[in-house]
Order: sequence, then structure tokens, then C-alpha cells
Amino acid sequence: MKYEAVIGLEIHVQINSATKLFCDCPNRPGDEPNRNTCPICLWLPGALPHLSQEALEKAALACLALNCTIQPESAFDQKVYYYPDLPKGFQLSQHHKPLAKNGWVDIVGDDGRIKRLRIHHIHMEEDVAKLVHEMEGKTPISLVDFNRAGAPLIEIVSEADMRSPHEAMEYVKTLRSQLRHTGSAECSLEHGTLRVDANISLRPRGTDEFNTKVEVKNMNSIRNVGDAIAYEIIRQTNCLEKGEPIVLHTRLWDPEKRVTSPMRSKFSGPCVPDPSVPRIVVGKDWLKEMQSRLPEMPGQKTERFLREYGLTPEEASNMSFERDLSEFFEAVVKQGLPPPKVAGWMTTHLVPALRDRNQTVRETLLTPVRFARLLSMLEKDIINAHAGKEVLLQLLSSKETPEEIVEKGRFRQVSDATELEAVIDRIIAEHPSDVEDFRKGNMKVMGFLMGLAMKASQGKANPKLLKEILTKRLD
Amino acid sequence: MVSEIFTHKNTSPKSCANDGLLTGRRVVIQPNMSARGWLCDAGSPALEGFVALEDATAVARMRDAGAELVGSSRMSELGFGLAGDTANRILSGGEADIALVTDTMGEARVAAAGSGVFGFKPSFGMVSRFGLVGLVPSMECYGILGKKLEDIIDILSVIAGKDKDDPSMPDETSPDFAAARKPLKMPCTAGVLKECFDLLRDRERKAFGTGLARLEEAGLTIREVNFSEFDLFRTVHHIVASVEASSSAGKYDGVRYGHRSFSGKNWNEMYLNSRGESFGSQIKTFLFQGAYFQFENYPAFENACRTRRRLVRNVADLFERVDLLLFPTRRLEHDPEGAATINHIYDAFLLTLPANVTGQPSLHIPSLALHSGADIGVQLVGLRLDDPRLLSIGMKLSSTAQGGTSHEI
Repeated sequence: MKYEAVIGLEIHVQINSATKLFCDCPNRPGDEPNRNTCPICLWLPGALPHLSQEALEKAALACLALNCTIQPESAFDQKVYYYPDLPKGFQLSQHHKPLAKNGWVDIVGDDGRIKRLRIHHIHMEEDVAKLVHEMEGKTPISLVDFNRAGAPLIEIVSEADMRSPHEAMEYVKTLRSQLRHTGSAECSLEHGTLRVDANISLRPRGTDEFNTKVEVKNMNSIRNVGDAIAYEIIRQTNCLEKGEPIVLHTRLWDPEKRVTSPMRSKFSGPCVPDPSVPRIVVGKDWLKEMQSRLPEMPGQKTERFLREYGLTPEEASNMSFERDLSEFFEAVVKQGLPPPKVAGWMTTHLVPALRDRNQTVRETLLTPVRFARLLSMLEKDIINAHAGKEVLLQLLSSKETPEEIVEKGRFRQVSDATELEAVIDRIIAEHPSDVEDFRKGNMKVMGFLMGLAMKASQGKANPKLLKEILTKRLD
Repeated sequence: MVSEIFTHKNTSPKSCANDGLLTGRRVVIQPNMSARGWLCDAGSPALEGFVALEDATAVARMRDAGAELVGSSRMSELGFGLAGDTANRILSGGEADIALVTDTMGEARVAAAGSGVFGFKPSFGMVSRFGLVGLVPSMECYGILGKKLEDIIDILSVIAGKDKDDPSMPDETSPDFAAARKPLKMPCTAGVLKECFDLLRDRERKAFGTGLARLEEAGLTIREVNFSEFDLFRTVHHIVASVEASSSAGKYDGVRYGHRSFSGKNWNEMYLNSRGESFGSQIKTFLFQGAYFQFENYPAFENACRTRRRLVRNVADLFERVDLLLFPTRRLEHDPEGAATINHIYDAFLLTLPANVTGQPSLHIPSLALHSGADIGVQLVGLRLDDPRLLSIGMKLSSTAQGGTSHEI
């Protein structure tokens, strides 16, 4: 391809503070409409905003997690535009003096090497209300739900450092993982607590110009972020090949039709310094306090896991991506189990099971101690891997101990040689032609017979012992 | 109860605080100051029927101190200028002892000058703005009108000071108003801006000269100071205030309260029609001017903000040499109530608006600057947040210069 894509992302993240940004209303936009409102977030005459310290602290933590420098002084501006979802007639946002600048995240780039993507700045702003369009009889009506009005957001504005849909997706994933580690935000694209707008332009490969960009909105999953950008790159390439100019505008991604289409451009108004919200002046002590609250980030954790636990790079990265899981992992390891075994079981069995159930590990009844006891039964050959997987699934929702589940479900592994010999003898007798094949050199038959024997033992046979006996008998 | 001069008349103004500092003092407020259950429409159909849900901090503090809140006067639309304002009529009619009038460009002081009473604009940040339905957040504050200076000091001492509901107030602790009640010992040096004196007409100059002479007799040392940028106060005020007003009035969309037009086909038309039908022509013009700077000429607004900071610094420099500044309060040929255009309004408030630009306290003293029956008033302007000292000087000068032991006029 003769063009190169230049991609920058603007990401809105909802901060999960208990209250809204400028009032004491609960920060729960999903409640019954207009339940969480007060004169400040409805902006009734005479109201004055007061900045939530908790929201500020959580926002600062998010900035630090993305390696940004908190500015000694930041301030709010009024972004002026008129829309029924905006009770003030302006949105309080930090346009001129953002909270933090100059951050970065590292991703694995297209060429497989670590690539550092720069963040231009992060600013705080308040969310707007939600409009609900309904029919009242035959009359269309619009209703406003102010629960979300004034909810705290940060907007993370990247530099245009990304060159492919893959890099953009990796950027969002990495940033989301780091933000989640701070505990400041849920960061769910599905729930709208993380929203991605992509700015995309093309240029001839090998040049370093910045051409007219197109903004794409409304991607509700990371995959959609990649797909929308990929679509837009093709669309713009076609335009350029046909000699059509690229026009600055905003497009909406349609996740059903998987295309972008132009949307009516939103009028962008001026940003006037707000005279009522005091500017934020950051002292050394406060900043130190915030830095001390910053937990270990996934990147640092990966390195430590490589060093301390002898994991492979892939295992280390899997175990450090999510804070809950990494803490779970270390708690299990503390119970005296070999780290690679723990990581292996978590990656191949626990994580997929959680995904199927759409739960986090905290939401299940599995604890590190219960999981450790299951793994130690595996270590001691009391149960085999097949049974272990069954027991794990039960542990997620059962209050019984792993031992009780093993006894009740009769998962205990059969390591009695006489019992297994009888099973194998029967199978050999039932499949003479297959045995013949094996003896002629078809090694695949071994696996087939193993499978039959395992099935005959209802999955409980000690696989090592089973293989030993089968090999002996076939010789 | 509503009348020609009251938008709300309180039928039971007696406060339960019997031994408060303000017990027995009758106060009239304006309908842009929230008093629970009272109409609070800021003189505009944009807030048609809006009733305050809770007391403004200043109102609550006055109630707690025993003040009798007699009602709300009529006021200009959104508190810009003095058209239709009835606070001084209520005072001169003897229905209240003290009136609160928002001072955005000098309204309280000019109204006081028109009715022979004291008028005071506190420093910006001295009184909580919580519950004040404002228009120009960085310039406006509660102005106080009263026949006795002691009344003004008492009101201020009650309503001033930190309020958790107004985080924009400075952190300094509340000043000690006991000092304000004692006349300050002279000597004291006051500056008169040459550029300001030069623009006065003959009759105004004579009246102001009379005032200055009396103040000198009272022990004040007066010196002329130069301030070549005097005319920038007006320009800066006009640009910054109109921009802030445009932002502040953005909330009047007819969605949650106030007048809503039903003639539109969609929300955008509803919005345009509601605002179009709500605002009077004068405030509409002012909001348009602010929107012009917001949307079409932002650099001019930024320039005005920079200039404002410079003016604040340069005025502070003058205070290296003087203890206070003196200005006449009003212009004789410019009627603040009948001004027909924005420019005419600015003409009428030309001498009071500098204190709103810089956030300084300013006290209008009546009956000093008289010439053939016309009182143009004398304004004392002090250092920001040093209101007690300015009031103390005011006590001394008004008692001596007016030649009596009583401060009542």
C-alpha cells in the first residue's frame, strides 16, 4: 500500500468516584431517571459548583498510571454550546490548562517490537445528561435524564503515533489495563464508561506530513475500534485514488453494517475560563501522596513475575494484565504451589471459565486458598487434569471444599494398576485390528486406545500409569 | 404579596432571633437573591415563576442575625443596570432600613447616589455568592444601601466570610469588622485620578471639588495621581462582563424552569423561541455582544483578560503611595435608569465600574460632593479584602465632613 495511516485517539473514561464532579449526588447514571440530581447538577439559578476531591484524586491517579506529569496548576473552562443535554449552556472542561501532560504507554507494535505511544495530555470534564426520545401517542417527545449530568470524566488525548488498527487496539487495551489497575475507573466500552474517538488521516508512505483527518465515533468494543479504523483507511484510500479530497468531518461507526457514515457535525463552540471553579494548585505533598497510592503497573509486574517466579514472558504478561487476577495469582503462589503451574491453570482453565460465566474472580466463590488446595491435589496425583477442570467449575459456585467435591463426585484418580490393567485388557481384546495396525507401526493408534481407556474409566484413570500399562501390553 | 415596588412582600418578617446583631433592622432584597419560597426570577421572564428552593448564604445569615426581611424589590433584568429598580424607593418610603442590590458595574453605589444614602460594594470574594442568581460571576457581589453607615457595617459583618458552598472565595480568614466601627485615626492619603477628573463636566467638577475640600478639612491628604489607562476599565468591563453574561445566561433554555415557547417544531426552535421571547432588548443586546466575543472574536476577550490583570497590578501599584482612591459616584448628565443603549448604560456607570473590574471595595458617601443641589457623590476605593479599613476611614470622614456627631443624614 502506498499510503500510511496516521491515527490519534481521544478516549473518554468515566471516573468511578462516589459522587459527581461538582456536587454530592451519587455517581450512578444508571439509576431511575433523574433520581441523582440536585440544584448544582441541574444548574438551577444560584448554584455554584464545588470540585470533588475524590474525583480529582482518582483522575490524578489515572494520569500517573499513564506516565503523565501532573501540572502544578490546572483550571476549568466553559465549553460553550447549546443542547438540551447540557443544563448550563456550557460544559466544564479543562481546555486551556489540563490536569496532566506528556504521558506514554508501551505496546507491542506491528513489527513485534515494543513501541512507545505518547499521550499529549489528560484533562477532566463533566459528562452531559442523557436524552431519551420516545413517542407519546403519535407525538415524538424528547426526555432528559440528568443522572449522568456532571459525572466525572477524564479525556485522554494521544499524539498521532499509531499507524495501524492493530496499534490502536493495543493502545486501548494497554491503557485500559493500566487504568483498571488504579481502581479509578471501570473502563468498559460496552457500558460506555470508556469511549473511543479515532482521528484518522493518510499520507504517502515515507513522508511525515499531517493531512486532513476524519473523526470516527461510536465504537463499542475494542474489535470495533480496529474494524472502524480499518474501514476508514480503506475508504480514505479509495477517495485518494479517485482523486477526491478528504474533508474534515465526523463519521459514525455502524456496528451492524460495519461501515462508517458521515454524521451531522456538532457545532464546536469557544472555551472561556470559568470564573467560579477555583483553579487546582498541586502541592508537593499532595503529589507525593498520589504517587504513593499508585499501585504496581502491569508492565512492572510482568518484569517482576519473570524475575521472581520463573514464568515465560507470555505467562508473566497473562498474569499481570488484570489486577484482580494478578493478586489472585500471587496469593495462590504464596500457598506454596509452583508458579508456572498456577499460571498455566489460571490461563487455560480459570480465565476461560470466568469469561464463559461473565464474572470476575472476585464475584465467584473461588478463593486463592480453595484454588491452591485443588492444585495441590493435582500435584499429588489425587485427581487428574480432567477431573481437576470439573472440580474447578464446581468451586466457582459451590461452598463445598475441594476435597468434599472430589469425594462426592468420585473424581479421585484411579491409580490402582490391577484395575487399569483389566480395563486395558478389555479394550485390546475388543479392538484387534487397531492393535494390529499399531504393531505394524501406526503410532497414532496409541492415542486412540488411550482415549478409549480413559473414557472407560470415566476420565478418572491416572494418565501416566495408564500409558505405562498400555505400552507394556502392546509390546 | 406583590406591589408596584415589591415583587414579594413578606407578611411575617419578624425573625426568631431576638438578640442578633441585626434584630429590628428591616432589610429589602432583590429577586435574584434566593429566599426560600420567594419568587426568584432575577427580573426576567427567562426565570418566569421560579421560586427559590433554599436561602442564599447571605440571606440565611441575615435571618439568623435577627434581620427582618421585608421583601424583594423590583430589579433590572438579570441585574444589569438599574432600569426599573425600586430598592431606593422602598428605602426613601421608609419601608426598609437597608437594601441589598447586586453590584455588577456600580448599581448599588449609583442607586445610593440617586437617593442620598450610603452605598457599599464589598471586595470580590468577601461575601458568598451561593444563592445569588448572577450574571457576571467574576465582578458582581451584594451591594448594600443604607441611611446609616453603621447599618452597612453590621450587615457586612454578618454576611461576610468563608462559606463552604462558595469554593471560589479566597482562603483568608474573615476580617474583623469591630475595627470598622471605630473611626480610623488620620493622617490618611487619598489619590484622585487625573484622567478621571479631566473627563468631568464643569458642574460635576465643581461638585466633586466641594467634596474634596470637605474631605481635606476632615484631615485627608489628597494628591493627584496619573492613570493613563483609565478608559480601559470601561472596555475591559464591557468585553469580560458581556462574555460572562452570555455564558451565565446560557442556562435559561426553558427546559427545567422559566418561560418555554411552544411554537417551535423541534428543541432547537423551542430553545431559540423561548430565549427570544424571554429576554428584553437591552439584555439581549448585551448577550449578543458577549456571544460575539466568544464565537467570533475570542482573541479580543483574551486581550481583555490580560489587560484586566494589568489594570489590577497597576492599581495595586498606586496603593504604594496612597491609602485609598477617590472617585465621584455618578455622572449628572447620564441617567442610569433611563439609559436606552448599552453604551448609555456604560456612560452612567463609568466611575463605579473600575472597582468591579479590580474586585476592590468601594464606599459611596452622600451629601459631600454637592453643587447647587446636585450630589454626584464621593466614592472611596480601598485595597481588596481590606474592607474594614475602608469602612473605618469612611466612618471618620463622613462624621467629620458632614459636620455632626451623628452619622445619620
